[in-house]
Amino acid sequence: MPATGEGNGKPGLTRREFVWTMGAAAAAYGLQDLPDENGIFWSPEPKVELGWAPGLEEFRTSTCLICPSRCGIRGRLVDGRLVRVVGNQLHPLSRGGVCPRGIAGLQMVYHPERISGPMVAEGARGGGNWRGVSRDEALTLLTERLRASRTVAGPESLALVAGYCAGSMQALWHQFLRSYGSPNYVADDYADGTDCVMGLMHGIRRRPAYDLEQASLVLSFGAPLFESWWSPLQAYVAFGGSDEDGGQRPRFIQVDARFSRTAARTQEWVGVKPGTHSVLALGIAYVLIRNDLHDADFLSRHVAGFEDAVDGAGATTEGYRSLVLRNYRTEEVSAVTGVPVERITALARAFGSSPAPVAVCGADVTQAPNGLQAGMAVHSLNLLLGRVNRPGGVIFGKDPPLAPLASPVLDDAARAGLTSQPVAGPGPAFGTGDVASRFARAVAAGDGRVENLLLYYADPLASSVHPEAWRAALARIPFVVSFSPYLDETTRHADLVLPDLVSFERWQDAPSPASYPYPVWGVAQPLVEPQVDGIATGDAVLAVASRLGGSVAQSLAYPSFEELLKERAKGLFEIRRGMLFASEFEGRHHRQMEERGWWLREHDEFEEFWEDLVDRGGWTDLFHDFTDPAGIAQTPDGLIDLMPEELTRALVANGLDRTPYIGLTGDDAVPPADFPLRLMPYRVSTLASGTLSLERWLAEVPGLFPETLWYPWVEVHPDTVRTLGLEEDTMVWISSSRGRMRARLKVFPGTAPGNVCVPYRLQHPDGELANPLQLLDGPTDPLTGLAPWFTTFVRLDQVGAVD
Amino acid sequence: MVIDLDRCTGCAACEVACKSENNLATVSPEQAEMGRAMSWMKVISEVEGEFPNSTLQFFPRPCMHCDNPPCVKVCPVSATYLGEDGIVGQIYARCIGCRYCANACPYTVKYFNWYGPEWSESELQHLNPDVSVRPKGVIEKCTFCHHRLQKAKEDARAEGRELREEDFQPACAEICPTRAIIFGDLDDPTHRVATLKDDPRSMRLMEELGTEPKVYYLRSRA
Repeated sequence: MPATGEGNGKPGLTRREFVWTMGAAAAAYGLQDLPDENGIFWSPEPKVELGWAPGLEEFRTSTCLICPSRCGIRGRLVDGRLVRVVGNQLHPLSRGGVCPRGIAGLQMVYHPERISGPMVAEGARGGGNWRGVSRDEALTLLTERLRASRTVAGPESLALVAGYCAGSMQALWHQFLRSYGSPNYVADDYADGTDCVMGLMHGIRRRPAYDLEQASLVLSFGAPLFESWWSPLQAYVAFGGSDEDGGQRPRFIQVDARFSRTAARTQEWVGVKPGTHSVLALGIAYVLIRNDLHDADFLSRHVAGFEDAVDGAGATTEGYRSLVLRNYRTEEVSAVTGVPVERITALARAFGSSPAPVAVCGADVTQAPNGLQAGMAVHSLNLLLGRVNRPGGVIFGKDPPLAPLASPVLDDAARAGLTSQPVAGPGPAFGTGDVASRFARAVAAGDGRVENLLLYYADPLASSVHPEAWRAALARIPFVVSFSPYLDETTRHADLVLPDLVSFERWQDAPSPASYPYPVWGVAQPLVEPQVDGIATGDAVLAVASRLGGSVAQSLAYPSFEELLKERAKGLFEIRRGMLFASEFEGRHHRQMEERGWWLREHDEFEEFWEDLVDRGGWTDLFHDFTDPAGIAQTPDGLIDLMPEELTRALVANGLDRTPYIGLTGDDAVPPADFPLRLMPYRVSTLASGTLSLERWLAEVPGLFPETLWYPWVEVHPDTVRTLGLEEDTMVWISSSRGRMRARLKVFPGTAPGNVCVPYRLQHPDGELANPLQLLDGPTDPLTGLAPWFTTFVRLDQVGAVD
Repeated sequence: MVIDLDRCTGCAACEVACKSENNLATVSPEQAEMGRAMSWMKVISEVEGEFPNSTLQFFPRPCMHCDNPPCVKVCPVSATYLGEDGIVGQIYARCIGCRYCANACPYTVKYFNWYGPEWSESELQHLNPDVSVRPKGVIEKCTFCHHRLQKAKEDARAEGRELREEDFQPACAEICPTRAIIFGDLDDPTHRVATLKDDPRSMRLMEELGTEPKVYYLRSRA
């Protein structure tokens, strides 16, 4: 395994294997030549025990797979033990930074509660009795089960629920399901609707990326940039700025209904009423238009729907300009959002006069009622100032140019299976919505087609908005397989567990997150030997495919997942652009060369390229063509559409006002008498990817409250606490019309009176789940199929008083 | 050390990096409730004002490594001392657990081991072999990752050169994603910290006590 130089950011140049005396090093700190007042040296003699051997230190490059950010890391190993995770300074996104989750990833590797090997449920499922089996037995069991079901019940009897696994793991699963013949890939990851917003307006169905580093002003609407965004590291690096540019840093302004960590640490926080981010955005648009701060040239060349349109019959359709000027006057916006008139004007002027501003749309915007239009409203600010496909603006990222997997071979059974309707049924008007919940409800309601369910980085019993549907669905599915390395809620109800190897133990690729503008292909190589008798799920899928034989085996003829990655990397070797991870200086050099049409070849042989790629951590292409019109819009007429016809049709079909943006009037719902407080769930950074809190170090750094350790909490304004007669630091029940959960009451003046903020998916030390999403009782959005997060009302009761 | 509060996002990477580098033990939830959790580097926060006018400041708080350390003066057994390199050290083998120093420290950065550390068999694997695990009954504290200084000095000596600024960085400064923690020799005018400590935004905690802390904070601009 290649080692890289230590800490200086230049791989391979200063390979050093530090030989240490563990005993002497351990005692080193106590070995100061320190005399006491009497001049006596107290230093103890170093003790070298029999059998002692020097430790061999080594650094290996890899990528952290714990959250979608996929930051570059380097593992410090001593005698093959992973003792520290540090950042890879060559990684273009994370630049040597790592978040607490990555550092604490050590504790995931060496966690005492990891599942030690494959196991089969004995007796009643969920009874907690397991029998250990060998990897071979487990794979055979799964293969035979899949083979039998494919013949008897048809290939559509297989379903996969997969969490976030962008990259080759996702491609592998798709290939496996396709060649097997199942249409049931059930994604249980981040659906925030922003891809639908871009699809409607730009004709590009892709989540927007933001060039934060080159922006001068980042106006974030509810995006948890420093907490659970696509890549907190991307935001941190931009926020920290570059030392070289004389401290030039973008200014960050956070529009948030909650006093979040992002709101607390950006240069300015604009507190709005829940669900009114988009109204504020249109209020800003109003000021921009009224004061001629918008980019009229960009709008006339690239945007449709800004001005009123007159059709052939002489009928006028109102454009964005008239609509905003008529409906979003500053005083009215102020009344709806709670933001003073002067503040709105100042925000608009700051945004409109900044050289490179960008408006970032967070899930808080799209997970409100009318989320799609709300997202469009926020993004329209970028259009008004022509901030699309410009440095420091919104950019449509590109995928790394990997060699595709071989086309799947389909036999008759597969072709028949693929024509069947997916169990989850048709999606909403836009996007995929909450596929996992639809799937669970369909099964619970009696769709008996699914015989085998695979769970890959999905724990719906703990994370879903509809755990009751999942409980019913699991009871109806005869065979459930989990690939989880830990015995999470849903894995407890599995028939077969094939524990995956954790991040730092397995091969995987790591494309950059949706928010990053440049293609990055990080490689995660194992840093340590597997600590348990698990099997990397990629290898497990390939093994099952091989054993199934026939067209499935032909479609996935790779000896190992590592080889599959290597095959795909040939695409990067042959593309003749981009570079392996390198220093910032080298990156700039490459970018400038590519801008001039040159490309620097670094490797003649693929094997060398691959070795160097793994050694440096990955491949990237920091050149982006800002002149390409396809980077602005890919609609039939090549124009960005501010008033998309497709949306109008969907609005009419759902009985809503046909004019876009009109539905954005704020949420003036009156709380019911029984439930006087508005629930505001949020994700804390240490649980950003929604996995269980397994690492003890992370339990000690939970959020805004340094003294709050271990217990889930609820943030409440002091006046609300007084009115309800509750006591700080006591346990309370948070109840909605759907259910209740326990949390510790924290008095927090940053929370608006009338709201309660609850972190998502923490666990009590005794394992009791605390998932506020299970309290949500609002209807799902008809256009995006997403559950609104901020329309549920709850009440608080002292634990003990109501039991 | 200079900590730029304007750049600190309170992400706590410094805190966790420190725990990992220095083998900090985790106490049970019940013990944590009693204030017995240990964090040599602790990100503390201060909220002011009510919605929607709240502000919050994070303070990453390591040991201040005072030039006039109150903890050293009260230690009856010279277990804590101010080293030649300016780092306030703690010799665990000498500490008798009287906790005078913990009470004398105005920054409350000295932690007492009420119990021995508990690691499962598997967790022992990730302990850093460069740093000793502390037993029950002794005080422990931030050492500015002194073991790294030892190693950096040895490397420099082996290569026959002076110690450079980048040779020695504590774990918290090394990991900070926004580079809010800057480390170096305050007495060496070529080091960044030597310039930054004279920045108009610079301040030290509880300077009025005369402790002469060596950790400088740069006030937030906002």
